[in-house]
Order: sequence, then C-alpha cells, then structure tokens
Amino acid sequence: MNPEPCTLRLAGLRKSYRVGEASVEALKGVSLDVSSGEMVALTGPSGSGKSTLLNLCGLIDAPDAGSRELCGTAINGLDEIGLTGLRREKVGFIFQGFNLVPVMTVFDNVEYPLMLLGVPPAARREQVMTALQRVGLEAFAARLPDALSGGQRQRVAIARALVKSPVLVIADEPTANLDSTTARQIVDLLHELAHERNASVVVATHDERMSSHCDRVLHLMDGELQ
Amino acid sequence: MKWLIFAWKNVMRNRRRSLTAMLITALGTAAVLGSGGFALFTYQSLEEMTARDTGHVVVAHARGFDGDEDVPLQHGLADSAALAAKFAALPGVRAVAPRMQFSGLISNGDKSAVFVGSGVVPEIDFRLRGPQMNFIAGQPPATNAPQPEVVIGNELARLMKAKVGSSLTLLATTTEGNLNAVDVLVSGIASVGVPEIDRRLVLADLAAVQKLLLSDKVGTLSIYLKETADTGAIAARVREMQPGLAVKTWRDLAVFYQAVRALYNRIFGILGVIMICIVLFAMSNTLGMAVVERTREIGTLRAIGTLPAEIVRNFVLEGMVIGGAGALLGMVLAGVATLFLLFAGIEMPPPPGRSAGYPLLLSFSPPLYGAVTLVVIVLAACAAWLVSSRAARKPVTEALAHV
Repeated sequence: MNPEPCTLRLAGLRKSYRVGEASVEALKGVSLDVSSGEMVALTGPSGSGKSTLLNLCGLIDAPDAGSRELCGTAINGLDEIGLTGLRREKVGFIFQGFNLVPVMTVFDNVEYPLMLLGVPPAARREQVMTALQRVGLEAFAARLPDALSGGQRQRVAIARALVKSPVLVIADEPTANLDSTTARQIVDLLHELAHERNASVVVATHDERMSSHCDRVLHLMDGELQ
Repeated sequence: MKWLIFAWKNVMRNRRRSLTAMLITALGTAAVLGSGGFALFTYQSLEEMTARDTGHVVVAHARGFDGDEDVPLQHGLADSAALAAKFAALPGVRAVAPRMQFSGLISNGDKSAVFVGSGVVPEIDFRLRGPQMNFIAGQPPATNAPQPEVVIGNELARLMKAKVGSSLTLLATTTEGNLNAVDVLVSGIASVGVPEIDRRLVLADLAAVQKLLLSDKVGTLSIYLKETADTGAIAARVREMQPGLAVKTWRDLAVFYQAVRALYNRIFGILGVIMICIVLFAMSNTLGMAVVERTREIGTLRAIGTLPAEIVRNFVLEGMVIGGAGALLGMVLAGVATLFLLFAGIEMPPPPGRSAGYPLLLSFSPPLYGAVTLVVIVLAACAAWLVSSRAARKPVTEALAHV
C-alpha cells in the first residue's frame, strides 16, 4: 500500500519519429492525469500512439515537447541516472511477452528489483515470498520461467512489478495471448494493485476483458486522445 | 555474491560457446605460461652459468676492464691475497677466486696453436665452476706440482694430439715484454660446450702462470656469493671498501646472457601480445554474441531500473568468470606440462655456436602465474566492457523492440 497519493501528470506531449525521409507524428499534444488507485486503459488501433504514450508514461522514452510529472517530481531535465532511479523506485513494468530473465528462477526474477534498491537479504526474501503468495506462485519459487505456463509467467511478471510497491504500474497488453481464465486472473491482480495498493495503473490493451474493468478507458486515434 | 551467481548462470546459458572461449583462454594462458616458464628457466640457467664463470662480483685494477694493456698484467692487482681475505670476510661471501688471463702459443713439439688461458687456484675454481665445466678425462691441475699441470679444451687436445699425462709447452709474453716458456703436464681434458672456446682453452695453476709471466699480480678477484640476489649489495659494499678499484657484477660482464635475454624478451613478448589478442578476440566474440542475443533482456532490466553501468558490470562479471575459469585451466595445463618435462628428460638441440644441448625444462614461477592470470581476467573484463557498454546505453525502447 502506498501511503501517499501520487499522480502521474502529462501535459501537451508531442513525439514524432523519422521513417526514412518522412517524419511521423505519433503523439500530437496529449495531456493526461492518472491518480493513485486509478486504473486507466489505453485503447486504439495499431499505430495510434498507444505504445509511445505508454513509454512516455513509464519514463523509458522522452517527448519532443510537453511536460511530465510523477509524484510532484518534474521529469523534464532529469538525466539518465535520475530517470533510472525514479523507475527503479516508483515504476513497475508488465510486458506483453513477460520479459522474465530465463536463467533466473521465479524467486530471483521477483527479487531483482529489490536487489537494485539495496533491500537487505532477509527483508528481500520476505517481500518476494509475499509477492509470490499474492499471485499464487509461492510453490514455484525455485522454478525457471521456462517451466511455467504463459499465465504463470505473467503472474511472475506482476509479482516482479508489485514487489517493490510501485506508485505507477505500466502494463503493455498484459492479457494478450492468454486464455480467458488466466486473463481474468491477471485483470483481477492489476485491479487489486490499483485499488488495494493505491497504485496508478496504465494499461495499453486491445482486450475488451481488460478495458471493461478499468476505471477509465482512453481511446487514442492518430496520436490524439478522443 | 548474488551478482556473481547470476553471472555464472548467464555464462552457462550457452555452454558450448562459453566452453570454447574458456578453452581458447586456457590454451592462450598455458602457452604464455609455458613460454614464460621456458624463458625463465633459460635466464636462470644462464645466470647461474655466468655467475659460476665470472663470479658474482669481479674486482680489478681501476683500468683492469679497459682491455688496453701494453704488456700482460700491466693493470693487474698487487697484494691480491690481502684483498681476497678482506672480501672473503664479508657476510654472504662464499669464496674469493683470484684469476688472471693470459695467451700465447701451445706446442707439442711438432705443432703449435694459439691458446687463451686462465690462471686459477684449482681447489677454489674448479669447485665453484661445478657442472659448467665438463671433464672428459683426467682431473683439475694440482697446485704447486713439480711440473706445472694444465686442463685443456677437448678441441685443443685433439689439435695437439694430447691425452691426460701428455707434456706440452706454453709460450707467453712476460710482464716485461719478453717471451717465456714452461713445460706443462696435461692433467685433464674438459669442455665448456662452446667449440670455439674449447679450441683455445687452457686452465693452469695460478702460481705456475705467475711464474711464466714473471709477476706476482693477479688479473681479477672473483667474489662468489651464497645468494645471487645479494650481488648488488655486495658490489656496493666492495666499492665502498675499495674506491680505487673497478668493480663489476656478473650481469655487467654477461654479454651472452644479456643478448639472449633481450632476444627471448622480444620473441616471447610478441608471442604474449599475440596470445593476448587471441584471448581478447575470443572473449569479445563470445560476449558480443551474448550481448546481441540479450539486447531485449537488457532493455527489460533497464526499464525496471538497472543503470547502464550495472548492466556493464554484469557482463564484466561474466567475462571475469570465463576468463578466470580459462586462466585456472591454463595454469593447470602449464603445471602439468612443467611436471611432465621435469620427468621426461627431453633435450633441446645445441644452440648455434655450442656443442651440447640443454634440458627442455619450464620454471614454475608463482609471480608469473599470478601476473598472467590477472592479465587474462583483466583482458576478459575489458572485452566484456567493450562489447556491452554500447548495448547498455542503447535507448530502452530500442532495446525492448530488438528482435
């Protein structure tokens, strides 16, 4: 549970890419606030700018124009170390392809963000087991990701994201390629993350099962919020 | 520790590739240690040979090493017995051997040849020379024998048709510039392993040579030490004691040793550089492929808060694991080769200008093993740093999109 409310504030974000000789404007002045405990879905067709907006929300990309603020900290002007530090401490990521480290066990994968934060080993162990219990995978702690199903891997990825109690969770198509039952479990977990742990959750999704459970659904079209 | 375990797990991701890099590193390490061990053995052998030949510290008249005497012993040492006693009393000194060089003609009555001789104190000199002088027949000359005795080189014995017990005549210029002759008895035939020297070699009792040259001087005093490492300190002490005399160490006089050392340093230095390049390329290739394959993973780790420097550190640890394991295996290989050669008794062919070969042995030097291992690990770390630092700084979105 994050004790203090923390808002992600985006204002007038613009981002364009060069494709050959041409310049493609992926975002055309997007503004958005996501409050603590809020789960926001980003929907829209391919090429609408969902991924670009998600990357900017997750502080892994920089806009051409506009400003960002997380928990009152202005993002513009932060150097690589500052941005990485902010992500390390406050942002959790859930990827469509799970992106677990294959040579690390489930336990190690979930433990990794805590190692970066310098949490002592005993406290790490406790926090990791709590996170794994929450996603129902405590019995799989010693397994390698390859020995798990797709749904289990995504739950490990969620445990990795929630273990450090982030204020912001970025999820990119977290239910893609998952069966209905598993997708439902993932939706419930993210829902809990937002409402019980008071985290801001931004989800890019095409999945109706996911967007129907979000507090807000934002539709992107040609780089603009509809 | 946990990071090291992750590094080990990552190294084990592609076992065959890591094993190949490890084996290349091991072979490179073993090659450097083997060649280094051979060079060290050669240096140590030559050091011992030179020190046994000249003595560790050689004392002469102030102009004794100039080689511009008008007559023999013009720059000889007078009162050598007192000087020798003083030097012998120094701590760490094993013995002091007075010597003099002389030359002239040696004749068997029918035939004459040029000789280059040394006047020595047999009971000191032949004990100190040890295995460097190989007696083919006979024994060292006796001191103050009724008829002076000499040891001659085997090639000279062949030229003079001399055997142990043969009588020969030595003809030399005296310190006064006149010619003098002495009949000598061959007490022994020896070889120093260099045919050019064996063709001219005469070793005679010092007293007999002084009588031949009509002088009581000696050319040099050779100071033999208990430990070669004390050479510099004793040389300095002797200079303090006798500032008017010239003092040289075996290293100053070891032209052959210096030349061989310079040559081997160059040859094995180049070999070392080649090995370093091979290890560097092997490590760069292995880790470079790992970096490319794991670019997406690098993006993930960067996204969840890993600094580029921490990504590089992880790869550097992997490089050090591969390099360390390779170096360890290389040390084992080199150690086994060193032991094998110790018992195999393999001989090297005679070097140019020499008549005898020498054993092929490798010196085991812990400092060399330590230094090479350290270099290999540092190289592996550098290779890892080189190949991973660019990938670690790639934009996160670009790394995540890597296929």
